[in-house]
Order: sequence, then structure tokens, then C-alpha cells
Amino acid sequence: MSLAGLINRLNPSSWPLSFKVPILVAVLMFAVSASITNRVLARLEVSQEQHLQQLASAYLDGLSASLIPAVFREDVWEVFDTLDRSRESYKGLNVKWTIVTNADGKILAASDPSRFPSDRNVEMATLVHFAAGGDVTLDEENATAFLVRALPYQERVIGKIYAEADIGSLLQERNEVFRTLLLTNLLLTLLLASVGYFAASRMIKPVRIMSKHLEEASQGKIELIPDTILVRQGREFRRLFGGYNMLSQAVKERELMAIELAEEEKVASLGRLASGMAHEINNPLGGMFNALDALKRHGSREQVRQTSIRLLEQGLMGIRDLVRSTLASYRADQRPRDLTVVDLDDLRLLIKPEAKRKRLKLEWLNDVDQPVHVPAVPVRDAVLNLLLNACASTVEEGHVKFHTWVEQGNLIVDVSDQGSGLPDHVREYLERQGAGSIPLDKRSGLGLWIVKRLCDEMNGKLHVVKADILGTTIRLIVRPKSGELEHAA
Amino acid sequence: MKRQASTMHQLQAPSRRKFLSVGAACLVGLRDARAAASSALNFGLTPVFLTNDLELLTSLRAYLSRKTHREVQLVQRRTYEEITALLLSGQLDGAWICGYPFAQFRDQLSLIAVPLWRNKPLYQSYLIAPKGRAAHSIDDLKGDLHAFSDPNSNSGYLVTASLLAERKLRPDQFFRQTIFTYGHRNVVRAVAKGLVQSGSVDGYVWEVMSSIEPELTGNTEIVRKSELLGFPPVACLKTQKDTEGVQLLHQALVEMAWDEDGRHVLDMLKLDGFADEPDSVFDTIFEKMMLVRSLGS
Repeated sequence: MSLAGLINRLNPSSWPLSFKVPILVAVLMFAVSASITNRVLARLEVSQEQHLQQLASAYLDGLSASLIPAVFREDVWEVFDTLDRSRESYKGLNVKWTIVTNADGKILAASDPSRFPSDRNVEMATLVHFAAGGDVTLDEENATAFLVRALPYQERVIGKIYAEADIGSLLQERNEVFRTLLLTNLLLTLLLASVGYFAASRMIKPVRIMSKHLEEASQGKIELIPDTILVRQGREFRRLFGGYNMLSQAVKERELMAIELAEEEKVASLGRLASGMAHEINNPLGGMFNALDALKRHGSREQVRQTSIRLLEQGLMGIRDLVRSTLASYRADQRPRDLTVVDLDDLRLLIKPEAKRKRLKLEWLNDVDQPVHVPAVPVRDAVLNLLLNACASTVEEGHVKFHTWVEQGNLIVDVSDQGSGLPDHVREYLERQGAGSIPLDKRSGLGLWIVKRLCDEMNGKLHVVKADILGTTIRLIVRPKSGELEHAA
Repeated sequence: MKRQASTMHQLQAPSRRKFLSVGAACLVGLRDARAAASSALNFGLTPVFLTNDLELLTSLRAYLSRKTHREVQLVQRRTYEEITALLLSGQLDGAWICGYPFAQFRDQLSLIAVPLWRNKPLYQSYLIAPKGRAAHSIDDLKGDLHAFSDPNSNSGYLVTASLLAERKLRPDQFFRQTIFTYGHRNVVRAVAKGLVQSGSVDGYVWEVMSSIEPELTGNTEIVRKSELLGFPPVACLKTQKDTEGVQLLHQALVEMAWDEDGRHVLDMLKLDGFADEPDSVFDTIFEKMMLVRSLGS
């Protein structure tokens, strides 16, 4: 896969709807899930902090009441005894140690005397953890809460309580809630995303069917949606599919009709050609019979004999030329070959009977003096049809003009008539790229459709140079064949 | 006296719970009209022994009430001083005090009975320190934060103070700081938990605790044992020695070892009984007191 292809596939706008919708559902679910998880955790955090504050306050309040008399007397044992007994009373707080100091900051007693001996100052390294303001300072990184409370007595601070509590269990509870929430939301999201995927796929399945049929139709392969599929759809899509089937049916009928018309046109053209040829052969035949009659009656006379033989020869040569050009035009050999000057001149012979039939004056200007690298047969067929169409459109004794030349390697052919102009829709049809896959309409001749179709096949262009009441000029531009086209042909 | 102790020692101790139930029954059911009619006996207790055992207090009270046929009120105070003051002021019929207050007020007090521990009316004072501390004499405890039991306790203060007095030192000169825990058990707790570096404690209490709460005493070790001294006695005012109440208390105490409920109480106290002993048992304590007083502490 090329880089551009890969980039294109990564572009979300190129993803199928059946994939985008579930992905969107999943992303929204994840967003909702993340939002809920965040809210719950934030609420839990606030709740836990409040709970911890209340517990810490209760612990400090209880201790303060018991300790103040002992701290006032600086009774080391009473302070220690109170701290030691409080361990049993405040198990919910999980206090690691407690220190009680006097007004000078000296330790009166601590719950862990071996770590904090009495009659010593509390080390600064310990004091820095305690906030100057509130009772509780949290250090979530170390799962620790630091509690501090001044001991007031008669409006003087006679000491302080410092305590460190382990909040690991609170954090663990929060982590467990987080993990549970995450896992639950993840599973729910995956479940809902899967449901969304299948539901969306199911819902847009008719759209995919419709899309597939339309895509095939654009490539000329019109297929009706089978009834077995149609009956399985809901009301809306049943109507849509029904409408599509009706449209497809109409297009198919039109195609069939176009083919029939083309056949009829072909037969008619063949008739006109045969008639023209008969006419062309009949003219010299009259002269030849006259010459034969002269030979029978005055064959003994040298002059008569010579003249009759010359007339017979001219007549036979005319017939031979006509047969040769017809064979050249309709031979079965369809191998692609370049257009020659003779191919263009042969067109003049082929159109001549039709022009003569309507007593039209044919102006022929062929500026091509060497073979052109364009496909000979389709170009000649297309130009012949343009000429036949011009003859048909032009009033009797009118002018039909043919002019061809090569410009920048492109073959350019102008065919002009003296008809009554060209309707807009026909003009638009001829000039629209790719329109040749479908016939123009029932009212218009099939000649233009054949021209348009051949032009599209050759990757050529049709351009209406002029179209008014005085006549129409249609220009055919054919580009040189490319290697790929040659190979395909 | 020794004969009595020996006999008591040989008595088989009934189960503690059985005695509790019997004691409770006695307390409720055997309170006869005589006891109700007479005035109540007030019996004071100091923290000399394990006063935190409610079962012991209930059983002791029930036994004394039954034996004296009087309602007995057990009066407890936090310090020796308070109980001694109540006793000296005549508000108590008798009190289980320490040898030191008895020595202090021997001219005003008489012995009702003296407990027998290990069949002797004697016990020791221990100097203790946290386990693992390399201390072998009081000299190794210099500069300690030291825990005393009570300023009026013999084993929990006087013995150590006299030992220092022999060196012409007062406790505040020898130790960095001293604290009073007002309970021998508290002294053990303070030492065991590292609050203090050493303590003066009743040897009897330490030994009893080592069988009841070995996890606490296990964190302490004995640095020094004193000589044998008179066990904390049950005393009364000399002026009340011949009153009926004191006599009843005396009889109840010395007969305790022959009574099933009494043996139950003694089992809980880890004592062998109570006996009549002469005041001279406390002469050594008196001498220590005089030595300490001579130094002005």
C-alpha cells in the first residue's frame, strides 16, 4: 500500500459508517466513564478528608481534655499514661505516634518514648511536617497525616500535641474504588461499544446494500435488489429499495429500447447504404448497358468499339472503387491502427450517396497529410455518424462542411450543417464527460449517442462550436493513443 | 506465726471462678440481720497491690463482709498519703498501707496483720531497667529519668532514696529527673515502654506481674534487689486497736487462709496469708527513713 493510500485509510472521514458509529459510541462511553470516575473519586477524596478531619478532631479533642491538667503540672507519667490508654480508644485513626510538649517545646511524653524521649526538644525534621494553620496536614505520597493541636489553658498555650497517623488504609480504599470503577466502566464501555457496533452495523446495512447497488449501477451494471432482501427491511428502507428497483427497471427498459433502436438504426443505415450503393452502381450500369448496346450494334466500328470499351472500363472502375471503399470501411479486421489520409477520404465516398440523395453540396477540406496516432475505426465511425447526422439535419440543396486537421498531436474534425440548431440538452449531453454510457433520449437520433459513446471510448472530446438557426458546427477532438490504451485495445 | 504460714501454704487453693461465684453469693445472700444492723467497716487500700483487679476487690469485700458480719466499704485513693491521712484522721477502721507510712507514724498506728509472701512477712524493693540495658548497680543508673511509685512508698521510693542517702545524695542530685507514677504497675509500664530509663518498684508486685503480665515485665530487668523488708501491713490507729471492728478485721485477715473464699482472695493476691507480727519487722524501714531524713530529702 502506498503512503498516500495509508494516510487516506487513516483519515477518519474515509472510514465506513459501520465502523465510525460504534467507535463514536465507545469514545463517548469512555468520556462519560472517565467523567463519572473522576467525579466519584473527587467526592470520595473530599469525603475521606472530612472523615479524617473529624476523626483527627475527635482524637485531639479527647486527648486535649485529658492532657491539659497533666500538661499544666508537667506530669510526665500522667501524660504518658493518657497517651498509652488513648491507643485503645482511637484505633480507627491508626495513630503511629503522639508527642506532647510543654510551652517551651520540650517533650513531656510520647507514645513511643524510645523514639521521642522525654525532656528533649522535638527535632525540626519532625516539626516541618506539621502545618502552622489547621489540625491536619496530609502527605498522600507517604500515606501519612500529621495532626497538631495547641493546648490552651486560661488563654495561654501550655503545650502542644503532635501526632502522625497512617492513612494507608484510606488511600488503599480509594485505590480499590478507583480500580473497581475503572474495571467496571471499562467492561461496561466495551460491552456497550460492542452492542453499539452490532446495532449500528445492523441499522446501516440497508444503506450499504443501497450504496453497493448504486455503485454497480454507476459502472453500468444495474441489478435489482432481490425481494428476499427487500421484505426483510423496515418500512422506510422497503420504500427506498422499491423506488430504486423501479428506477433500475426503467433504466434497464430504456437501455433495451436503446439497443433495439440502435439495431433499427443500424438496419436503416444499412438500407440507406445499400440504397446508395445500388444507386452508385446503377448509374454506371446504365452507361455500361448503353456501351454494350452500342457494341452489339456498331461493334464493327473501331471508334464505337473503343469508346464503348472505355465507358465499360470507367463504369467497372467506378463500381470497383465503391466496393473497395465499402470493404475498407466495414471489414471485420478490428485491430487498432492509426488513422490514415485514405480513411478520411473514404468517408467522402461513403457520405456521397446520402448527400446526393438530398442534393446537398459537400465541402470537403482535409488538412491531414500523414497518418495520425489515433484509432482509425472508431474515429471514422464517429465522423461518419456526425456527417450522416449533418446530412439529415441540413435542408435539401444545403451545405454540409467537413474540415479536419492536426493540432498539437490531436486530431480535430469539424462537421458543420445548415440545420435548425441544437437543443440545449443535446449540447449538454455531447459536452458532458462520460455521458455516453446512457442514450440521450427517445426523441433524439441514436447517431449522436453512437458518436458520444465512441468519443468516450477514445477518451476524446465533443465540443459544439456553433449552434443557431443558421446551422451547427460540432468539433471532435481526439488525443493520440497512449501506450496503456493501445494495450487495452 | 511461721507454723500458720506453713499450714496455709499447704492448703489446696480452690478455683478462682468457683470462689468468685461463692463470694458473690455470700455478698448477696449471707448478709444477715446482724451485719445490716451494725455500722459498716471502712477498709482502706493503697496501690500497694494490684488494685486494678475488680474481681479481686469484689472477692475481698465479700470475704471481709461475710467474716466480720459487717458491711465492708473498700476505700481507695490514688496516693498513699491520702489513705494514710484518712487512717490517721480516724475515718478508716483499718488500712492496707505501706511500711514507710507505718514507720512514719508508728507512734500512732498499730499493726492489725502483716501479709505473708512466700511464707514470710517480708519482701524486697527492686531497681529495674529496660531489658538489655547493661546496668548492674544503682551507680549505673546515674543521670537517668527515674520512675518512683509514690513518695510515701517504701519499695517504690524510700529504699532507693536511702541507698542514695548512703552516698550522701538525694534522688534529684543523682537522677536527671524523677517522676511518680502512683502505682507499682505503672513503674513497670514506664520502664518497659521506655518512658524512663529506670524505676523503683515493689519486688512482690514485679514478681506477681511477671506471672500475670510477662509481656510487660519481660521488657524489664532487675538491676538490684534490696534486703528483705517488712511487707506492707494492715494497720489501724492505736486508739482503735481494741474496737470490735478492728478485732473483726484482724480475725478475718488471720483466718483468711483457712477459709475457702479467703484462699481464693489470697490466690489472686499471690499471698500465703496474714499473720500477727511485731512492729520490729519494720525497724529496717524505720532506719532507712531516718537516714533519708538526715539528708533532708
